[in-house]
Amino acid sequence: MGVLRYVAKRIGLYLAVLFIGLTITFMLPRLMPINPVDGYIGQLQSRANGTLTSEAIAEMRTNLEQLYGLNGNVFTQYVSYLKRVVVDFDFGPSFTYYPQPVSAMILNALPWTLGLLLTATFIAWVLGNMVGLVAGYFHKKRAASILEFLGILLYPIPYYILAITLLLLLAYIFPVFPLSPTFPVGQMTPEKLGMIFYNSLLPGITLVLAGFGWNILSMKALAVATTEEPYVTYARLKGASNWTRMMRYVFRNALLPQVTALALSLGMVFNGALLTEMIFSYPGIGLIMRTAATGGDYNVLYGAITLSIIAVATAGLVIDLIYPLLDPRIRHK
Amino acid sequence: MIRLNDLKISYRIGGRTIDAVDGVTLTIPDGCIVGIAGESGSGKSTLMKAIYGDIQHPMYISRGSIDYDLSAADGRPVTTETIRQEWFKTISYVPQSSMNSLNPVIRIGKQFTDFPGTGSNKRRVLEKARTYLGKLGLPPGVMESYPHQLSGGMRQRVMIGLATFFQPGLIIADEPTTALDVVVQKEILMLLMELQEEMNNTILVVSHDMGVHYQVTHKMLIMYAGRVVEYGDTESVFADPQHAYTKMLIDSLPTIGDDSMRGVIASAAGAGGDRAFRVEPGLFEVKPNHFVARAAANAGVLA
Repeated sequence: MGVLRYVAKRIGLYLAVLFIGLTITFMLPRLMPINPVDGYIGQLQSRANGTLTSEAIAEMRTNLEQLYGLNGNVFTQYVSYLKRVVVDFDFGPSFTYYPQPVSAMILNALPWTLGLLLTATFIAWVLGNMVGLVAGYFHKKRAASILEFLGILLYPIPYYILAITLLLLLAYIFPVFPLSPTFPVGQMTPEKLGMIFYNSLLPGITLVLAGFGWNILSMKALAVATTEEPYVTYARLKGASNWTRMMRYVFRNALLPQVTALALSLGMVFNGALLTEMIFSYPGIGLIMRTAATGGDYNVLYGAITLSIIAVATAGLVIDLIYPLLDPRIRHK
Repeated sequence: MIRLNDLKISYRIGGRTIDAVDGVTLTIPDGCIVGIAGESGSGKSTLMKAIYGDIQHPMYISRGSIDYDLSAADGRPVTTETIRQEWFKTISYVPQSSMNSLNPVIRIGKQFTDFPGTGSNKRRVLEKARTYLGKLGLPPGVMESYPHQLSGGMRQRVMIGLATFFQPGLIIADEPTTALDVVVQKEILMLLMELQEEMNNTILVVSHDMGVHYQVTHKMLIMYAGRVVEYGDTESVFADPQHAYTKMLIDSLPTIGDDSMRGVIASAAGAGGDRAFRVEPGLFEVKPNHFVARAAANAGVLA
């Protein structure tokens, strides 16, 4: 059965990528000359003004090494690391927020980041493709160049400038949205959900605008090239309507590279999280990563990096599984 | 019957006007295959586009008219203005690039029914098309296939099937066999001839291949620099070409054992550069059903 084999192959590849990614994350810090346990003990020692005895330090070292999976040789460390990460999804406790487990911190923040960024990326993709398609399909009409102009205007603006401008405009000068929004936690009620939605609108709009321009330009270029294809000309000579030609002939064919672009940008979603969450004080992975990076919180960084690896690899898997549905030439190989 | 009355077709490019077809007057009778030959840029494709009714900016008819002796489904005569509604109903088209003229991501069957010419009962059309394609020598699964699953010859058969399925009175085939190998080429041409005999409609075939013209067509139309230089029954044109350009085209057909044209380029063969064959508009009947144009008085001036 071709389909099952295809899917099995892709999933096998996916697992292999994850495995290699996890191995590299395991190896890299161990190649560094700094030992985090030493650093941590040094910190504690200086806080205690050097009053810690050597026995206490030795005991603390064993405890810490056990806690962070640093005892034994590299191979036993590696096996226990894989077991912890893969089986238990456990990255140990956070340094900064000891003894809060990293996995709990990440799992708390994850829905926030994914909810905002996935939605915004997807909306930007859909809108950008629609506008780009119309701009590309009617590229000989003057009115269509206005649509393209929208893309040219939005695309080069750096995200932080766009975000800060919108924040100034819509939260400070015209206070439509709160300047420092609050995001309630705990049991969800309809009011809380409404508040979360309302407070997420401004970061969402900036993200959509930032992704919109690129999607317009990319889709426009693809659509222009596709309208010149012989099958589109032939469809016109058959008398097929503009709608049929635009949707079924141009869009269906120009869509394929755009799906790849969408999946890749979904995989890179955590990159966008950092700036957005800092500017809009949004409680997601980005904020956690920032705190971890400045505070030297290795375990949290581990967790976040692992999560990014999973996200990118999953995006790749999703492309591989969706593509054959859109392109019969791959399906029937 | 199609009548071209002093037809002049121009392109408006920038501030300039280029006359691609200039002063063509002729009558194409019903039920025959007409071959159109001439070098690239001689106006063949422009003339075909105009007859097909695919007139859009920057191309326009600057003088003259086309009379179609065809009537639409509601009985009204077809004109240049209304012919778009008749596409693939009373007039259809076989494209040159059969390899890329089908949408790669849509099944063949769907491409039989996604235009207004198919009418509203798609299911019945699909069913009949399935049987019809079978008759054209295509395997039964073709309607459910994607274009990349078919060979070039099969794709061109599909194109011909699509063009002939609705029994149009006129078919325009723009180099229908250019992209195919000679064996498939012959099959496709035979198929086209068979279908024409069955339906007794008119087919205009554009081709650079004089051998194809000789085998397939009833009438020949030779174009040069936007004008018709010779038009007549194929037999007569090949047996007794009147115009020097026609002679040259026919001589370009290799004859076994004849090396006289080897290494000779066209302008040298015509002896007088690329304007040597310019003619006046208007044709003169030299024999019954065999017309030729007179050489232009000032051959050096571009039309």
